[in-house]
Amino acid sequence: MSLFHAEHITLSYRCGGEAVTLLHDESFALEAGSVYDLVGPSGVGKSTLLRACALMMERDTGELYLDGHPSSGFQPAAWRREVCLVPQQASLVAGTVRDNLVLPWKLKVNAEMRSPSDDELACLLEAADLSEVGLARDVSRLSGGQAARVALLRAFATRPHVLLLDEVDAALDDDSALAVGRLVHSFMNARTTCLRIRHRASDGFASGTFALSDGVLSFASAAEDGAIL
Amino acid sequence: MTESVVDIGYIELFAASALMLVAGLVSWKLELGQTRRIVVSSVRCFVQLLAAGFLLTYLFEFQTWWLVLLVLAAMVIAATQIATARVKNRVPGLSGAVFVSLFVSSFAVGFIVVEGIVHAEPWYSARQLVPIVGMIMGNAMAAVAVAIDRLFADMDARASEMFSLVALGATPSEAAAPSLKAAIGAGMTPILANMSAAGIVTFPGMMTGQLLAGADPVAAAKYQIVVMLMLSAANTIAIVAAVYLTYRRRFSSDGYYLDKGIRADNP
Repeated sequence: MSLFHAEHITLSYRCGGEAVTLLHDESFALEAGSVYDLVGPSGVGKSTLLRACALMMERDTGELYLDGHPSSGFQPAAWRREVCLVPQQASLVAGTVRDNLVLPWKLKVNAEMRSPSDDELACLLEAADLSEVGLARDVSRLSGGQAARVALLRAFATRPHVLLLDEVDAALDDDSALAVGRLVHSFMNARTTCLRIRHRASDGFASGTFALSDGVLSFASAAEDGAIL
Repeated sequence: MTESVVDIGYIELFAASALMLVAGLVSWKLELGQTRRIVVSSVRCFVQLLAAGFLLTYLFEFQTWWLVLLVLAAMVIAATQIATARVKNRVPGLSGAVFVSLFVSSFAVGFIVVEGIVHAEPWYSARQLVPIVGMIMGNAMAAVAVAIDRLFADMDARASEMFSLVALGATPSEAAAPSLKAAIGAGMTPILANMSAAGIVTFPGMMTGQLLAGADPVAAAKYQIVVMLMLSAANTIAIVAAVYLTYRRRFSSDGYYLDKGIRADNP
């Protein structure tokens, strides 16, 4: 069974009183351990689809499943703890890198979890090639690429099962974008999957690509694409 | 004590309003564009206060508990309307929330003060209830308008930060918490500043009135202390109630923030 799947999703938005359909009755599945790309012309509704998957946008029809459990059985905040959307803007809170990384543990939804020690946080930073930055660095003194990776680490630190990345590498140079891709790929294991919106050339980390246009979602696996992992 | 009140004659009253004529003339000559507002405000102040004076005379004479409560209720409705009109943000269901917060704060604190501290006789005595509740409500009304404006401006400014927080699993109250704090702080600032300055920089209106009316300064000071404390208590209650009753309206039922792009009232 797929870790995450969406069935018969229809999405639309209202424009001047008229409903415009972005996605019509589409289903898709994300397998554990894999990264997927979501591509399509701008304005086609990629971000809206990601928001809908995180229950941050109303959908007209359809249901989302995590491990076979429907989203209607979750509190929205509990669902978002497992299906975590990372927006394009890193939007870190004011303070240090540490303040941002422990932020999720200050939320009620993670109240039962022990917040991580500095050693564990340092390990996270190391995994993201951010060791030289350090936990005490104020986030206003991070570069764009560093901030994007801290935001990713913050989202991943509580181990959500599904990561939804909305062009987190859009504002980055090629090296930083590759570092972010590598980091995301390193997160994947038997209990995680990732769907990311990208406008860049394939970086080889994705095992499949969803293309969205005119309300239709089509899928091509990386093998068919000819891309090599 | 009433004998010592200097009653201003009608001739003096009209003479005093001539002072306003100077302001009006200056504005007119310099083309400041304020002439109309000066005239309208002056006339309103004149007419409304005199009318209130006559109304209160009647009310003091023929007061019954239901008539007094009716007047108080009318005051809450008027205050709700003024406060709502001052809020620049469009918020669905705002007037209901403002009404509840003004009603609860001014009635709760007003009645505690009138019955528990001033010991009005009878309990519905209009001479105490109407001015005290009015004073509380006037203050709370201004504070609520400031707080709500600040709340929604702050939430819009923090929209992307709140988006990230909600995406990490934050509830609306967790996402909005910094804005709630900022709004409550903004609403509290004027009354707290007034309390700190009272007696040194300013003599508050009520104490000034009592002194002019010939009251003992210490007695007037005691009254003013009670008034200031009750004003700040009522302000706090009103602001907290108004802010907590309204912030959730900018979140969807699923708990995400309705930023400018996806608000129903903003196609």
